[in-house]
Amino acid sequence: MNGFQLYFRLIQISLLGHMQYRANFIAGVLGLVFWNVINLGLIGVLVTQFASLNNWTLWELVFLYCLWILGHSLYSLFFSHTRQLEDYLIEGTFDQFLLRPASPLIQFLGREFQYTKIADLLIGVTGITLAYAQLGLHWDVWKWGFFMIAVISGATIVWAMDLLIACSAFWTGRSRGTFIIVSPFYGLVHQYPVDIFGNAFRIIVTSIIPVAFMNYYPSLFLLDKLDRAGSAWWLSYMSPIVALMLMGIVFMVWQLALKQYTSSGS
Amino acid sequence: MKTFWAFARQNFHATAVYRLDFWLRVASTPILMYGMRWLWVTLYTQRPGAFGVSMQQMVTYAVLSIAIENLFYTGPLYYIARQVKSGAIDSDLLRPLDFHFHMLARSTGEMFFRIIVIALPAMLVGYFLLDLQLPATLQTGFMFVVALLLGYLVNFHLDFILGTISTVTLDIHSIDWAFQATSRFFSGRFVPLWLFPGALGILANILPFRSIFSTPLSIYAGVLKEDAMLQALGFQLLWLMLLLMLSRWLWGRVQMRIVSQGG
Repeated sequence: MNGFQLYFRLIQISLLGHMQYRANFIAGVLGLVFWNVINLGLIGVLVTQFASLNNWTLWELVFLYCLWILGHSLYSLFFSHTRQLEDYLIEGTFDQFLLRPASPLIQFLGREFQYTKIADLLIGVTGITLAYAQLGLHWDVWKWGFFMIAVISGATIVWAMDLLIACSAFWTGRSRGTFIIVSPFYGLVHQYPVDIFGNAFRIIVTSIIPVAFMNYYPSLFLLDKLDRAGSAWWLSYMSPIVALMLMGIVFMVWQLALKQYTSSGS
Repeated sequence: MKTFWAFARQNFHATAVYRLDFWLRVASTPILMYGMRWLWVTLYTQRPGAFGVSMQQMVTYAVLSIAIENLFYTGPLYYIARQVKSGAIDSDLLRPLDFHFHMLARSTGEMFFRIIVIALPAMLVGYFLLDLQLPATLQTGFMFVVALLLGYLVNFHLDFILGTISTVTLDIHSIDWAFQATSRFFSGRFVPLWLFPGALGILANILPFRSIFSTPLSIYAGVLKEDAMLQALGFQLLWLMLLLMLSRWLWGRVQMRIVSQGG
């Protein structure tokens, strides 16, 4: 069995496990849809009363919001347990991965399949479709291609960021705290265009926690708003590069972490 | 009353044990405050004085909203769910102590902890760095505290009712999601209710949620004054009475048929 086959076999097992609780699935999906509709409703109220948000119209904001959701849904469908790595380490579950003759990373990643997050995927697709129609966009093949790449890059960026933070638990034993610190950055970039914030914030979400590449920068190109980026227009095309760089860093950190891993012993 | 403070104090200390997570939450709160400040500065630069509210008032409202939001995560919902799941609810019920009273004491202890550790430092940061204004008069400040307390109690009872229901349905996550989302929308936590158009505005004014964020924040920012302020406080009190009675009645009915899931 190669890595991929193993991964999908593990996902299949997880899925079968979840399937036993159908009511939970339906409740979970409805909950997620409701939550996002409420969030978009709040943005909707704001933008209707103020006409726009720094020249972002309602449907442009919906696009921004849903581009994030779309990338994030791919991540959370398959890897949302990334943030729980610290529990695996503390409880000693991680030791099982090391005993089996397969890559610990693949075993960890294939541990869960959160199929309620299918709701996020639905919301993302619906939102983007509606925004595309409402904004009267007409993308050519290249732009569609770029869009697909942007979504996959978005998923990769948030996955790599979360795994990097989770890996800090290998050294400190705890990663939850760092997630608490980064989550307001995630939330703000998800919902609002980065250009309404101050410079300090923009620099952070571009370079240190580069989540602005999940939705803001690609949207500038996809929605023909490049002029507002000024001399930094090239950032709009950088999402895939950022994703690849982060992925490289994650694999390096993971190797380092495994090398110095000592079990918690419990 | 002595028992009340004993439980409140105990949970205050229990919460204080997990200090690291809390300090990090303290550190993360200003980031959201910063974000909300910029959001409203942007909107009010586009339309100065929109809806008869000044930019300063609006920024104060929004920044303060984030500073106090952590006070409302103290509810009994997850406590009840956890106790039912582990079976420990038995020992809660065996105590010669009213359960509703016990929950209120626990939750209040945690709220005071959160005021000291999160809300006050966040307000200081807001005051020095993010244009949070002081209340116009001492009386306004006092009324804000009263409204905040009423808002806390309304939120507590909503939460308690949900917790009670969860002992029957045994599923809390979806109930909690729906509740959180509804409250998020109608409490005026992110978008003040005076921006709500037409029927949405009317609905928001009837539902209890506005007691939680909108009323205290509007009083603090000087948007609700005099008669309107007293009316809003009366509204909070009315809902509090209703919810209090509903809580007592529901718990009385449910208590007898709790199915503990065991350890």
